[in-house]
Amino acid sequence: MPARRLPLALLLASHLLTPPASAQNSEQNRYYVQQMIELAAANDDSGVTAMQRVLEQSPKPTATDPAGARAALQRGLAALEQNELTAALSAFQQASRADASNVEASNYLGLVYRKLDRLTEAESALQLTLVLEPARAVAWFQLAQVYGLQKDPHRALGALANTYRFAQNPMRAEEILRNIAENETVDTLRDAALAALRLYRLPAEAVIVPPLPANPDIKPLNARPGSRSVVLPKRPAP
Amino acid sequence: MKATLALLASGIMLACIAPASAASQYETLDYYVQQMIAHAAANDATGVGTFQEQLEQLRRPEAGDSAKARPYQQQGLEHLGRNNLKQALAAFRQAFIADPIDPEIAGHLGMTYLRLRRFKEAERLAVYTLSLAPTQSATWSVLGETYGQTGDAPRAAGAFVNAYRFAKNPPQIVERLRQLAAADPETLRAGARQALDSIRPPADSPAAASSSLPTPTEKPTAPPGPTPPTNAAAPAGASSAGPAPAAGPAALSAVLGSLKRGVENFSHPPAKATSETGAPRAAGADSPGQRIYRRASPLTCLIVTFRNGRKDSLGSGLLVSPDGLVITNHHVIDKADNLAVRCGEQESAASVRGRSRKPDLALLATALKSAESFALNESYDPNLIGRDIFVIGNPYGLEGTFSTGVISGLREIDGVRYIQISAPVSPGNSGGPVILGDGTVIGIAAMGLKAGQNLNFAIASTEVIASRLFDPERMKSQPLAGPQF
Repeated sequence: MPARRLPLALLLASHLLTPPASAQNSEQNRYYVQQMIELAAANDDSGVTAMQRVLEQSPKPTATDPAGARAALQRGLAALEQNELTAALSAFQQASRADASNVEASNYLGLVYRKLDRLTEAESALQLTLVLEPARAVAWFQLAQVYGLQKDPHRALGALANTYRFAQNPMRAEEILRNIAENETVDTLRDAALAALRLYRLPAEAVIVPPLPANPDIKPLNARPGSRSVVLPKRPAP
Repeated sequence: MKATLALLASGIMLACIAPASAASQYETLDYYVQQMIAHAAANDATGVGTFQEQLEQLRRPEAGDSAKARPYQQQGLEHLGRNNLKQALAAFRQAFIADPIDPEIAGHLGMTYLRLRRFKEAERLAVYTLSLAPTQSATWSVLGETYGQTGDAPRAAGAFVNAYRFAKNPPQIVERLRQLAAADPETLRAGARQALDSIRPPADSPAAASSSLPTPTEKPTAPPGPTPPTNAAAPAGASSAGPAPAAGPAALSAVLGSLKRGVENFSHPPAKATSETGAPRAAGADSPGQRIYRRASPLTCLIVTFRNGRKDSLGSGLLVSPDGLVITNHHVIDKADNLAVRCGEQESAASVRGRSRKPDLALLATALKSAESFALNESYDPNLIGRDIFVIGNPYGLEGTFSTGVISGLREIDGVRYIQISAPVSPGNSGGPVILGDGTVIGIAAMGLKAGQNLNFAIASTEVIASRLFDPERMKSQPLAGPQF
């Protein structure tokens, strides 16, 4: 075994052999998803693959009502089509409860949570999606968006790196990353996309951030009602 | 607990296996496109056709949403017409993301990158587009201009020749090439001029009448593509048993047959040694290079790797024992399901006997027999610097390519000792021998710097000797011979 693999193996061993008393399988699996993010951000191909395989081989939850889940999923998709997010959320929650192994349901649940700006729940749902299907590029992409909104550049980078890694069409993914790196307004996500391109040594143009546009709603501090005037100290003569 | 341990074991095992990366998919496409360029530059229609077929046989990416892409494409064309390049880029990008398998959209995106002088992106999009549509003349032209703009006249010429070969309106391409032959920079002019020379022999040349020209849009009469076995004989890395992979005679025969066809398709060995750097010598003169080539050529191997039932890549290797042990780079055989080796006139299937990522080495077992084998040189000291070296390998499938240079330096990179050499080394040279004037192998060609010129590196033979791959019972090593003056 290469020496650099040893720390990873020991980490894996220590985690598996001495789990915390309260640890459940789902928590362990979320830990592996986080590891996939960390290792991807460090461009550790083999480490990501190892964690992916561990997740793929872990036991999956059993469905209590697969038919009910499918029906709820269809309702959720119809509601999402109409941009009725609350109804969609309710339907996807129901689908996920009826069939915890339904990867579509948990993925759409994460999407709707993100659209509703409920980022912690979005992260949780998307992590569950990736536990079920660790090579699902679209879920990695949505998770990256969540981390971008949470202003977590490192995890956003790891999730975007996995988006590219697992993309069925890498050239399309590359162009999506370039598009984000050059046009995204969320700084964290834009910077993470640029870092992901550089991680894979893909061409990327340095982003030139334009000056912030004037915003008429923001007035100088001393112009607000009730505010005190700010008197700048005089500069000493040169 | 058993299940947990099983997971742990699989995790540890897999931590040692490199997966296929998204980046490697592009490298595969690029390899075939580069082959089409190389064969076009050599006016080898058969070779171009062979690699065109290889591209056409690749699995297509998933289809996109063409209805969604169409309006963006239209916007892009309008912006391009008005020379609003940034707006055109934004529109073509959206179109491409919506439908990434439409070669027209991908081609326009590449062209827009070219006009924005974003040459790396232009190259990648052009290569990708050609993987979707290898006969798209406009994209060959974009690729040629990109290479011309980035200082690579030979590739530009090859790409332009293909633009002409596949053109629906050849005079239009000729006219465009005439314009480029007067454009800046110099490498673009040179590429266009070379292409014009290649596609239009002098009017008074006898060849003009008989026409050895590539006929535009004519489908070359390529031999049938290689059909390697779909069942892996033995997973590379898992086997360390005997000289032949654990496959039945039929599979073995198929690998060998495939190797033969594959090699024939890739290239024809030069009738005699050609030096990339040296001038031709007078007949009868027996230069050190000629002596080295004669002796070392039969001991230098072409390695063909197969993956998922298809020929995947080419590399080089060297015979280091009379009973068929061959050394190459780990990265040459890393992702192979099957391996076939040809050293001189002998061919064999091969299995991986040992491998090491650091240093980047692999030892293959084959059924080859040879009275002679390479000896590894035991030296690694500053006295080596300035010595002549000779490199044999199969760059871009050009089997048996011989080049010369000197040892430029000794470098330790990431704990591995390397010999820096000035001899030209290209993809396909990996794993081949770097030979001193006394015929011993001083290094294994491994890598080069893209930036700069002829800054190439070979893993020092001392790394092989120090590794667990070295078998002193079967392989030879010797110290440095006296100074060569």
